[in-house]
Amino acid sequence: MNTYQFSWTVIQNHLPELIDGLIITLEISLVGMIWAIAFGLLLAMMRLSQYRISRSISYGVIQVFRSIPLFVLLFWIYYGLSLKFNIKFSDFQAGAIALGITGGAYMAEVFRGGLNAIDAGQQEAALAIGLTRSTATRLIVLPQAIRIIIPQAVNVYVGLLKGATIVSVIGVADMIYVAQYVSLQEFRPFELYTFAGMVFISLTLSIAGFAWLLERKLSEGRSNV
Amino acid sequence: MSDSQPIFDYQAVWDSRVILLKGFGIAMFSATAAIILAIILGLGIALMRLSRIKAFRSFAFLYTQLFRGVPLYVLIIWVYFGLAIAVDVNIPMIPAGILTLALLNSGYLSETFRSGILAVPNGQREAGEGLGLSKRDVMRFVVLPQAFRIVIPPTGNQYVDAIKDSSILSIIGVPELMRMAQQQANVLYRPFEFYTTAGILYFIAVIFVSKLIGIAEKRTSTFVSKDGNSIEKNSAVVGVIH
Amino acid sequence: MFAERTNKVRVNFDLHRESGDLISMSMTENDYLLEVKNVSKIFGDHRVLSDINLSITKGEVVCIIGPSGSGKSTLLRCINFIAPPDTGEIIFEGRTWRKFHSKYNIFANNRYEKGLPSLRSDIGMVFQHFNVFPHMTALENVVIGLVRVRKMSKSAAREIGCKQLQLVGLADKINQYPEKLSGGQKQRVAIARALALNPKVMLFDEVTSSLDPELVSGILDEIRRLAGVGMTMIVVTHEMNFAFQVAHRIVFMDQGKIVESGTPEQIKNTKEPRTQAFLSSILT
Repeated sequence: MNTYQFSWTVIQNHLPELIDGLIITLEISLVGMIWAIAFGLLLAMMRLSQYRISRSISYGVIQVFRSIPLFVLLFWIYYGLSLKFNIKFSDFQAGAIALGITGGAYMAEVFRGGLNAIDAGQQEAALAIGLTRSTATRLIVLPQAIRIIIPQAVNVYVGLLKGATIVSVIGVADMIYVAQYVSLQEFRPFELYTFAGMVFISLTLSIAGFAWLLERKLSEGRSNV
Repeated sequence: MSDSQPIFDYQAVWDSRVILLKGFGIAMFSATAAIILAIILGLGIALMRLSRIKAFRSFAFLYTQLFRGVPLYVLIIWVYFGLAIAVDVNIPMIPAGILTLALLNSGYLSETFRSGILAVPNGQREAGEGLGLSKRDVMRFVVLPQAFRIVIPPTGNQYVDAIKDSSILSIIGVPELMRMAQQQANVLYRPFEFYTTAGILYFIAVIFVSKLIGIAEKRTSTFVSKDGNSIEKNSAVVGVIH
Repeated sequence: MFAERTNKVRVNFDLHRESGDLISMSMTENDYLLEVKNVSKIFGDHRVLSDINLSITKGEVVCIIGPSGSGKSTLLRCINFIAPPDTGEIIFEGRTWRKFHSKYNIFANNRYEKGLPSLRSDIGMVFQHFNVFPHMTALENVVIGLVRVRKMSKSAAREIGCKQLQLVGLADKINQYPEKLSGGQKQRVAIARALALNPKVMLFDEVTSSLDPELVSGILDEIRRLAGVGMTMIVVTHEMNFAFQVAHRIVFMDQGKIVESGTPEQIKNTKEPRTQAFLSSILT
């Protein structure tokens, strides 16, 4: 077995491009997250609606998009939809939409879970004081639900960040794409991919750590009364 | 560009059914093999994490953080392309894919198992030790059997994730469903049809497995006494009080 | 009821003391079955037990009373080393037990661990929250100790198990799972499970506090029965009437210390203000 000469110089030489790629990854995951929150909110509202049909449709949609791999959805949007219906998505857009749809299905559950976790008694007490249903939701239930929702939402975001790595396959110039490109030129895939891996790990771990801190901060001094 | 296309070219899909189903088989096989491996690894890591030996705990912690923080795509190209070059080893693609999937999922599962073990009420451990059972016996006869029931749903979910993640194996050439769909989509110029079909197949697989998990959950929280009567428990968490 | 106080014969062997070994082989002929000496326990920065001393003779029934948080349950757990005392020692049947933990020597730790089961199987414990094993039938609950600790064959163990369950009145429930049993029945399974190992001492940790009121007297009767056949017992309880009826000695604990100890008569007529305050708040 040849001893492999590990050298970081390839990273140093190409750092700017790699950073650019990282920025694209962050951008696409953030845009995806925004769509996910919007879509998730919509689905969650439908899920909690008084109308049976609304609940069923949203249930179905959530189930479907939680079962389909992101990868498949991405290709379906970028190649399938655009060819069949002549819609032109850019690779970035397709990626963001795919992330948004998948993330939305998960966010819907996060929203629903957060709202359900609040004891029904809270709502009852609020109504008993004389608040209207919407005010009760806004002032009493929502603030408590947010405490639960935010850490979960950050978890979903971390998932999107990890999922966003796939978009390089359809041509988005994210960090992985750059790493692959450079490794074809310089024949140093090990260093490049190790670098990419380490960057991602630090990123996801710090965000997850942040979520944990956030969760603690939010539950400070508030027990379940 | 596109010829006059019908809304959905069923024929193209039907003609490729064997290829697609073979791919589906490979995908399910990979996911299943990976999750079994992940369970074994995950259990080991979880026990290390709970050990009194600091070195084990630290190692297990780092292991968990590593495999939960890294995206599968990055891990797989690192293993298949990066590692292979560095260590000058040529791992065939299917084992490589399964191994990577297993490593990744073992990170999550070790956390699941750890929580499951910690979720068993402390009094159970006390009662076991109070009888004079050795620490190992307490784990084996009292804690783990109860933890098992608790971890079935999350483990099942992890299996579902593994099925979805198997699609990423297509990147390194594994001839699973996504890869086959891609291939046929390109050859027959029908991406919409094939990716839709792939999506449907994954959906069916996931729903099916989820139903199985549901049944397993119900089964293990029902205790059937030997005189034939059975009682339903309404939660998977096994509590001992009242 | 008590053993006659014999002339104490002290025979002292100081057998090999390996570094840090927990067993100091000083055999003392003594009429105390169980001694708690200078025991303290700290959780974090909270001193749960401070310098507890207690000696029990064979056949004695000691009831420990006191407000919540006084360390009563912790004391029981120190005795059978489920939560080893941080200072002090437990002398049981002539053997001295002290807490041991080496940071580096895993083998010594293992040896220490291996010794504990013999202590624990001779001391039976029944818990407030029953802690019966929910994934085993009543019989299996009783049998596991016999098979794994006393190394009996399964058939021999089952025989004993059935008998023990019979004695607590659960002959028809031997194959039931705990969920199907009432709280009182679960507690009986726990009692049978502990008694099956033929312990020399029984520890009861507020065993009726989690029971519905109508089931409490059933369990108290079981404890009475055991006292009647001469079992040495330490009973932590809130059931004052029961304690004063059954105990040979009452111990009042508060904030991790033994405030007072004496016969039921002595305690009832105590001059100690804290004891008086506690009793008056309980015995309305």
